[in-house]
Amino acid sequence: MTDSYLTLVNSGLSKNIAKKLGLPRPAILRRYHPGQPLVPGPVLLIGSSAGTEALATELLAWGLDVRRHAGPKDKLGAIIAVLDEVSDPEDLAEPMLAVGSSLRSLLPGGRVVTISRPASTADAPARAAARQGIEGALRSLAHELRGGATGNGILLDDAVDAQAPSALAALRFFLSGRSAYVDGQFVLVGSPQGELPADFDRPLAGQVAVVTGAARGIGAAIAKVLHRDGARVICVDVPAAGEQLVKVSNETGGTALQLDITGETAGQKILDHAHSRYGRLDIVVHNAGITRDKLLANMDEAKWNSVISVNLASQLRINEVLLASELFPQVPQVVSLASTSGIAGNRGQTNYAASKAGVIGMVAASAAAFAERGGTINAVAPGFIETEMTAKIPMATREIARRMLPSLQQGGLPLDVAETISFLVSDAAGGINGQTLRVCGQSLVGA
Amino acid sequence: MAASPDVSAASTDSAAGAGIRKAVVIGGNRIPFARANGAYTNASNQDMLTAALDGLVARFGLQDERIGEVAAGAVLKHSRDFNLTREAVLGSALSPETPVYDLQQACATGLETVMGLANKIKLGQIESGIAGGVDSASDAPIAVSEGLRAVLLELNRAKTLQQKLTAVAKLRPKDLAPNAPGTAEPRTGLSMGEHQALTTAAWNISREAQDELALASHKNLAAAYDRGFFDDLVTPYHGLTRDANLRADTSLEKLGKLGPVFGKSLGDKATMTAGNSTPLTDGASTVLIGSEDYARAHDLPMLADIVDSEAAAVDFVHGKEGLLMAPAYAVPRLLARNNLTFDDFDYFEIHEAFAGTVLCHLAAWESEEFCRNKLGLDKPLGAIDRSKLNVNGSSLAAGHPFAATGGRIVAALAKLLHEKAAAEGNRGRGLISVCAAGGQGVVAILEAR
Amino acid sequence: MSTREAIALPELPSLSKLYVSALSTAARTKLGALERSHALPHVQHTVTDVQVSLEHVTTFQHLLHGTVRDSLPSVFVHSVAFPVVMSVLTRPDFPLPLLGMVHLGNRVRHLRSIDFSEPLAVTAWAENLAGHHAGTCVDVRVDVQAAGENVWEGTSTYLAKGLYVPGLDKASRPERQDFVPPQPTAKWRLGPEAGREYAAVSGDFNPIHLSALSAKILGLKRSIAHGMYLAARVINSVEAVAAEPFAWDIEFAAPVFLPATVALRIEDHEADGRWDSADFTGWGERSHRKHFSGSVRAL
Repeated sequence: MTDSYLTLVNSGLSKNIAKKLGLPRPAILRRYHPGQPLVPGPVLLIGSSAGTEALATELLAWGLDVRRHAGPKDKLGAIIAVLDEVSDPEDLAEPMLAVGSSLRSLLPGGRVVTISRPASTADAPARAAARQGIEGALRSLAHELRGGATGNGILLDDAVDAQAPSALAALRFFLSGRSAYVDGQFVLVGSPQGELPADFDRPLAGQVAVVTGAARGIGAAIAKVLHRDGARVICVDVPAAGEQLVKVSNETGGTALQLDITGETAGQKILDHAHSRYGRLDIVVHNAGITRDKLLANMDEAKWNSVISVNLASQLRINEVLLASELFPQVPQVVSLASTSGIAGNRGQTNYAASKAGVIGMVAASAAAFAERGGTINAVAPGFIETEMTAKIPMATREIARRMLPSLQQGGLPLDVAETISFLVSDAAGGINGQTLRVCGQSLVGA
Repeated sequence: MAASPDVSAASTDSAAGAGIRKAVVIGGNRIPFARANGAYTNASNQDMLTAALDGLVARFGLQDERIGEVAAGAVLKHSRDFNLTREAVLGSALSPETPVYDLQQACATGLETVMGLANKIKLGQIESGIAGGVDSASDAPIAVSEGLRAVLLELNRAKTLQQKLTAVAKLRPKDLAPNAPGTAEPRTGLSMGEHQALTTAAWNISREAQDELALASHKNLAAAYDRGFFDDLVTPYHGLTRDANLRADTSLEKLGKLGPVFGKSLGDKATMTAGNSTPLTDGASTVLIGSEDYARAHDLPMLADIVDSEAAAVDFVHGKEGLLMAPAYAVPRLLARNNLTFDDFDYFEIHEAFAGTVLCHLAAWESEEFCRNKLGLDKPLGAIDRSKLNVNGSSLAAGHPFAATGGRIVAALAKLLHEKAAAEGNRGRGLISVCAAGGQGVVAILEAR
Repeated sequence: MSTREAIALPELPSLSKLYVSALSTAARTKLGALERSHALPHVQHTVTDVQVSLEHVTTFQHLLHGTVRDSLPSVFVHSVAFPVVMSVLTRPDFPLPLLGMVHLGNRVRHLRSIDFSEPLAVTAWAENLAGHHAGTCVDVRVDVQAAGENVWEGTSTYLAKGLYVPGLDKASRPERQDFVPPQPTAKWRLGPEAGREYAAVSGDFNPIHLSALSAKILGLKRSIAHGMYLAARVINSVEAVAAEPFAWDIEFAAPVFLPATVALRIEDHEADGRWDSADFTGWGERSHRKHFSGSVRAL
């Protein structure tokens, strides 16, 4: 699914015309390729907490060019603001203004990342206000960024410090091209769990993953990215999609498992396949999903039920089997596909939004059970992604969805969703659990 | 040149002197079978075989793996397909270093590829094998007439213009009409259906019995699809997700309305219709087999042992025996060699070339006269429990792309036996019987794992 | 009976010349310029050192669905001898007119395998001029020798329809038997070109076989298949089981008008556990009229 407008306004003569007409000029995003530098230039590290110093050491160990103060002419690859010790709204001015004074120095594809702590009802009101305030500031500055630069935040639970494996993994994710279409988002690191990989280019080496709905679109991209990152992939899709499933499986060196995930025995069949063929199961991605759009006034039972059954009920049932099974010593790291429709709602998608919002509720409620058995469960909520499915949306609607709503002024690619999932299922993300991370280019819909 | 370090372990570890070991069915894959001139009209044998192989590779994660040997074939073959299987392997996700051979034994091609490779595995010559078969009645080769062929060959040999002109001058307008392949037996000029019609009449098989068998085939196949039995046996192709010939809603009434198409000269005794005969079909199938060591080393399932097989041929040319009756002779020989009777089997897979073929076999094995005079037995082989016969449907419902039928049966029977063994804890057996053109037949025994 | 006068022909006569000569004999007889004899000429024609070309055998067998071997198929030997037979039938003193003569049947004893490279001596003569309910019939005998011994002996019976030779009793018409087709064991589909194709390999260019038009001139509704074409195909069908020495015979009934689908039944018989003989019958698949029947027997 190509976005020809994106190509047009970024090339030659038409680029100049678009500029003069004041048309939106979406940037070509900086996407990840194995072996590329983590960031396109020096990193400005802002902050004065103990965590800041410790983090500086880590960043230097990664081989980054770390600056504690911005020079007037420096072009920056990223700005990291460590705000883990703010306790009063007044504490925000200095670091935020420091970030602001360097924003114009940010290179195309640059990154702004804040590291702070979540506001909680247990906090003193001033501390909660300061912590919550960071979220508003970060989301707003993300809207100001251009040239494919993004702004995201890491929230550290009070028991987690900035060098926790998942905090570092999240930081690497946000700095790298893997998070190209993630913008204006926060991810909560809830525990010091997790283990950093020996090779950051192959974080899933030796692991076995199941991807449902792998025959096409986002599912196929997930299978490919997990394979690229070192996993062996069991590609699952309905028997009718078998021909495409074969193609994806053979491209990723995986195995094809033709299966209707709504079947009673689907979970057990997946476990049996993983057990008999690989002897382990590390990752499950609940990607399979369908839409049956209708205004609620016109919705029939079949349309409602089929969407709930495939998008939500099947995941609940498979998760139960995963948690109950004694085949493997640990439960896998799971990611479910939610959607921004499940956050903001979407006209004509009551059934779909119910299923996707349901997924968000499900992962939050399942987190403890998965953590207890050594796993995690998170959700990823894609926004407008260029797929066969979205290609069917009428042109005008599609252009608004692509251009006007996200601050990156373009739709995302299936790859972008896959990159986020690969991050969340990695061992390094073991401290991230029960979360929903949006891959939406900071779309205006929702929050 | 120094020996490659990659030289097969099979030849050193387990070869000569190791004696006979087991060959097991690991699994299979086929594409849905299409009626001729249907969904696969423009797909060649190579296209379909490649698709079936790729599906097998995907199912078992064999990407870039060097298989011990691949054997497959087609009955209707273009001259360009002289190396059909090799070309398919080169186009597939398998390692291009996988050796291959083509085989042709008419409708028994598919079963014989399994047996040939199984024997190599049993002897320790190879560790793994993929057997297969493919046929296209839609994309069938059409030969030029004998006259045109003679002229073209002579033209090719001609050196001077004079010689070339002489060659071309021999061309007659009728030579330009092509020869389409038929299913007629070369020595009799009778089609397979006409032959079977004579056998069916000789055994007094009723129209109703044939229609009932056809109905059971459709019902059984449809039920197997509905319960997901084929989910790990069939991969969709060209938009087809089930066998196109399957008529889940057929009935004895519908089948009863069809007029006879074969043996019309028999008048009232003509009983063979388009409903109780297999249609011309396109499709491909593959079966992955291996040694026990291979399966274990690769964490692959072992569905069934490939126990033994037997081929037979009958003298049909002057009507001494029915064209498709060879399995009736092969089965008792196979049973005797393995000290087995019909009672020792849980499933019977008798290829339904025609409903009449199956019923003539059942009748023959129940006939004291046939078993004594033709098979030289003291008593009849006995009756086959119909509830054990073709329980997941057979060729009448699935269709019959000649060389692909053996692979369809072996993979499905192996899975069926394995399922029953897993559920009941026994090691059941299955008997396969496939008749073939030229008065031939191949039969085989599988035993559950 | 005194011995026949032996006439040695220098080489195999040309069949086309013999047909032309037959035509002129017919014309002259009709005009009264030539008086027809009432007795068979007391002669035998012989050609020695007949060499068969392997290419010719190959073409013949490919047309007739037979296997090409280095030994000669039985009906092929008939076609080798045919020009000598014709030279007898077209003698001016032969009592029956060649054109319009009907081929009733053959009896052959194939005594040993004949290698294609063996020089053959072919001797033909006519005997048994006899009355028939539809005219007059005659046997033409052929001996084929190799290395001084008889290797192939054949008798072809022809009928001159509507021609009655003085002094011969007219036989009574045998009772017609209803033909009920048995179960076929084979089927031949013969195209309109079957006659021309056999003419090309056998040299028998009788116009009744060549085309609908040429057959019509001679009073037939369409062209008909050569009797020897039918014989050659059926003997080829049995050859796999029959080994020399063997004998075969064929009797022709209704002609096969081309194109045609001929149904065939061949029934093998065993004696002492070995193949002994085969009976065969051919009939029109749709017309249900019998075209021929006969047998092959081990000697």
